[in-house]
Amino acid sequence: MNKKLFQKSNRIERITFIFDFLAIAAYLALFFILFGMLELPEIINGRMDLDNLQYMLPTYEFLSATFDKWQMNTMISLVILFALVAIPMMFINVKKLRNRTIYEINSYTASSKFVQALVNLLSFNPISAGLRIYNMFVLVKFVKGYNAKEFFKSIGPAVKKFSKELFKKKEIKNKEELDEYSISIKQSIRRQNASKIIRMSLTYIFLIIMAFIIIIPFYWMVLTSLKDFTGATSNNPEFFIGISRMNWVNYKVVLTELNFGLYIRNTIFIALMSTLGTVITTILAAYAFARIEFKGRELLFSILIMTMMIPGELYIITNLITVSRNGFGWVGMPTGENNYFLAMILPFVTSISYIFFLRQSFKQIPDSLYKAARVDGCSDFKFLTRVMVPIASPTIFTITILNVFGSWNAYIWPRIITGLGGEEGQNYWLISNALRDTSFVQENGKVMYNLQIAASALVTVPLLIVFFMFKKYIMNGIGRSGTKG
Amino acid sequence: MELRLENLTKIFTNKTGIETTAVSELDITIESGTLVGLLGPSGCGKSTTLFMIAGLEKPTGGKIFFGEDDVTKLAPEKRGIGLVFQNYALYPHMTVYNNILFPLENLDVPRNEAIARVKEMANLVGIGNLLDRKPSQLSGGQQQRVAIARALVKKPRVLLLDEPLSNLDARLRLQMREEIKRIQRETGITTIFVTHDQEEAMSISDKMVVLDFGVRQQYDSPQEMYNSPDNLFVAKFLGNPPINTFEAEVKKGYLMINDKKFMKFDVPDATYDIGMRPENFRVSEDGFEVDVKNIYHIGRDTMIHFDFNGTNIRALVDSDDVEGQQKKIKLAIKSQRVYIFDKNTGKVVDHG
Amino acid sequence: MADFINNTKKFFKRIGQGIKNFFWNIRRVLNNIKRRIGKFLDKHNLNFASKFPGWAKALLYLSPALIVLGIFTFWPIINAFALVVYENYNLTNDTITGYTLFGNFITVLTDESFIVPASHTASSAVINTLIIVFISVPISVLLALFIAAALNSIKPLKGFFQTVYFLPYVTNTIAIGLVFAYMFKADGGLINQFLSWFGINADNLSWVDTGAVYWRSMFVLIFYGVWSTLAFKIMVFLTSIQGIDKQYYQAAAIDATPRRKIFTRITVPLISPMIFYILVTSVIGGFKIYNSIVALFGVTGQPAGADYTMQSIVMYIYQFIDGSNAGSLSVAAAGSLILFAIILVLTLVQMQVSKKRVHY
Repeated sequence: MNKKLFQKSNRIERITFIFDFLAIAAYLALFFILFGMLELPEIINGRMDLDNLQYMLPTYEFLSATFDKWQMNTMISLVILFALVAIPMMFINVKKLRNRTIYEINSYTASSKFVQALVNLLSFNPISAGLRIYNMFVLVKFVKGYNAKEFFKSIGPAVKKFSKELFKKKEIKNKEELDEYSISIKQSIRRQNASKIIRMSLTYIFLIIMAFIIIIPFYWMVLTSLKDFTGATSNNPEFFIGISRMNWVNYKVVLTELNFGLYIRNTIFIALMSTLGTVITTILAAYAFARIEFKGRELLFSILIMTMMIPGELYIITNLITVSRNGFGWVGMPTGENNYFLAMILPFVTSISYIFFLRQSFKQIPDSLYKAARVDGCSDFKFLTRVMVPIASPTIFTITILNVFGSWNAYIWPRIITGLGGEEGQNYWLISNALRDTSFVQENGKVMYNLQIAASALVTVPLLIVFFMFKKYIMNGIGRSGTKG
Repeated sequence: MELRLENLTKIFTNKTGIETTAVSELDITIESGTLVGLLGPSGCGKSTTLFMIAGLEKPTGGKIFFGEDDVTKLAPEKRGIGLVFQNYALYPHMTVYNNILFPLENLDVPRNEAIARVKEMANLVGIGNLLDRKPSQLSGGQQQRVAIARALVKKPRVLLLDEPLSNLDARLRLQMREEIKRIQRETGITTIFVTHDQEEAMSISDKMVVLDFGVRQQYDSPQEMYNSPDNLFVAKFLGNPPINTFEAEVKKGYLMINDKKFMKFDVPDATYDIGMRPENFRVSEDGFEVDVKNIYHIGRDTMIHFDFNGTNIRALVDSDDVEGQQKKIKLAIKSQRVYIFDKNTGKVVDHG
Repeated sequence: MADFINNTKKFFKRIGQGIKNFFWNIRRVLNNIKRRIGKFLDKHNLNFASKFPGWAKALLYLSPALIVLGIFTFWPIINAFALVVYENYNLTNDTITGYTLFGNFITVLTDESFIVPASHTASSAVINTLIIVFISVPISVLLALFIAAALNSIKPLKGFFQTVYFLPYVTNTIAIGLVFAYMFKADGGLINQFLSWFGINADNLSWVDTGAVYWRSMFVLIFYGVWSTLAFKIMVFLTSIQGIDKQYYQAAAIDATPRRKIFTRITVPLISPMIFYILVTSVIGGFKIYNSIVALFGVTGQPAGADYTMQSIVMYIYQFIDGSNAGSLSVAAAGSLILFAIILVLTLVQMQVSKKRVHY
């Protein structure tokens, strides 16, 4: 074990991250520049001439070269493809490096570096690729003790040896002489294996079919969102499209002309605020129910649990009165006096089911910790913030995620609220309302399916990004939230 | 610092209004710098006593004095105590360093001094090299050391240990026992140690208190308590294998066993509970002849089973004195090691 | 170079120490102030904090949640009973014309699109909802159970499949609903294309748009319902299956228990509390179905040109909550109380059944 080589490899890896990061930044910058350059149709009579969208053939000047529409599409597609490969790769590598110990390095690590270098090379990042190749040689030396020359020399014999071993195995099998008993055992093992293989392949086939059913809507969504109008409405839909025909301009139309940028901002704002409120109120209430002894605690708690069965529609009716003119007057007022955000956030800054969920995990924190903290002079509130919250942080994180997803899905309450104030309410639409109520129908009766689906993809992608970033926590959290509820 | 409990009483009332007395009228004075073991079967109120000293439970009656201060109504953090729990109660999300530092956050200590104290305590308990680990990465013994360091870092007046060794395996327990004794000696801090294991208490304590149903049975040094127990409960509780007890009559000043005179006693004629420790028997030519039921050779010692007044008695004697499977054997008992207890009160009447 | 790196490291370390010292000192000052106040209060016998009863402290912690819940949860429940007896409640000026005990309930129950279907169609809100609940819930629970068991039995690609099956959970119902509607489009829809590969002449077969038959629309709705709720169920089942003690399976393997029996006699009974929990929540969830109908069939819940409606009970209620007509809120309140009653009865029935069937 050569510790110096190990450290050297780690140092190279760290430097590689810098270039990985620079490359990602470059991809993203390039994407935003190119995306910003995309030309939109002219505005005729106050509306964008979307019919013309697919027939336009604008040319773009970039880096003193001229590109037509197809080349532009190709460039954006490639940049996105590179970013999609590079970003997860970097995150995975950072995670791996943090947990890597000297005992886990083997020849597999070295070969994975080689593969990553190839990917780097394909995504126009030669510096990272070079560093990774160099790192591979360091690792090879670490594992096998070869330097570069010896390594190349060793490849030939290694391949020969491998093929020989494959060949040898067969020979041994043929030479073996078996008595009757071991033959019968072998046969029963073979039968067993056969049934196992059949069972396993049936299981996999079932899982693959189900996976297809799950994944196809996503695929179809992304595919359609990049088609032009003719492609999206054709009677013979294409199942693949080339990267030069990916109309990224669809997304630009949705974001600007159809105002989805505003709606996404609204939704993020609402989601963050209501989540912040929910987390604070939930932690405090769950703490009271889990730790503080008071009369009527169980009674109050069971009342809360019982209200969980009452359908939400019941609340909405009165809440509408509460927030409107005869209540707090947040909505339904003359233009300019409405406060849509307040009306959309405040009713949702607490949740009984989350209080219940969090109480369960607070209750699992042993009482002796509380006693120890008391002896150490810790006040109740300090104990909550310094001990309970960090220990229950996985649950709190789950609550945060669930609440953000919930807000992202909110439809009916925002619809009722924003529907009250006439035109003004449209500026406060959330994405779900916008998706349903934005008119994707042109004046000549054409339904712009490609734009509608692009809008759908646009609101789905942020969720998917959040999901892939915190995959492990979210999936564990959801599984547990069921088990505990 | 001296610690004094006066008439300390704790009564729990449950939801249906039924009262249970956990500790009743406890009077103990613990001298400064001693390690006192609080011993008793589970549910005898020893942990409750400890928590009352710590201030985590409010006593129903009586007073607690630290030196001359009456601390009965003082909040736990103002009493200047260190507490070590059975399951260590380390904060799982903090490193060892932060665990030990945490109590100092609430005291008026400059940060440099606080860090110095953390390091000093860590070295004292022998975990100086583990400061940046999380509790989950430590073994039970190491966690225990962290817990002790955390309790000591405040420089408490009293150190309280609540069954600190019961979560460790046998070998570690022996080792930690000595460690705790050493740390206590080095710091010279008044320490109370709660346990249900009599062997542990006897090996570690300067003095022991035996409790049963919240009532003090005896307060003495371990050896004294072992040699002259105040009552049947204490006699039964101490010693392994446990003491043999059986009923026997004293007739005309003689203790009668198996209708024979066993030895002379100056007590009134009556039926008594007799206690004899297995290890106090020895093989002797001029001893009392018994019919052997079973003999087990266990290395250094040999266990002999026989009947006294119809009760099975075990005697632990030197293996060299017993030959194979004897049918009859003559046994004598060390002087002053036969205990006579009153049948009703359980109090010791005499031993001879 | 190395020196430079070391010096930079030291520099940052010192800054870190400085920041930590600063916060430590602030804490010290605050603690001192706290201590002084405490001493002062103790001296003048003013220290209420230590005499605070438990509920006062609890109230402090509960108040943010309780205030919000009081206004937006408890008050609406009480007010619903008031609304239900109002006649012609007017949202804009908060007036009523009188009281009626059952009038609003009767309005709902006799409405031709609530229970009793209108003469020209076979569907009503209650019928639709019941069909959705009693078809989609068993299908999705069974399917989730099979998938979870299958996932539990494999090793390679398990993580990948788990991730894929989880995807529908992290979506926007409306967005994917629009995609489904697009996929089931009559001309050029993916599904019709797919059917034509199998030789089924599905040209212009209408699923959700003009000309769709009731059962085809219902099929799409149920398909989407199952698709979108599968993820949560699979995750919960998988978590609880993985929580089963391996010893049961080892014992069964030694006794040569056939696979199917292991599933029906060990796995299912041992996770039956979880199955029951999922059943209850998905039945309740099924009764609240709304977003997916809106996504597939629009806010009216009626496919273009259809003579039937795909409305669910919730959707029926919501059409009265725009507050435009006098008295409509009362009708909505009556509708949601009826929905609550249905859910309550079903939950109680399930509880009764579970007492006999669920092994705890």
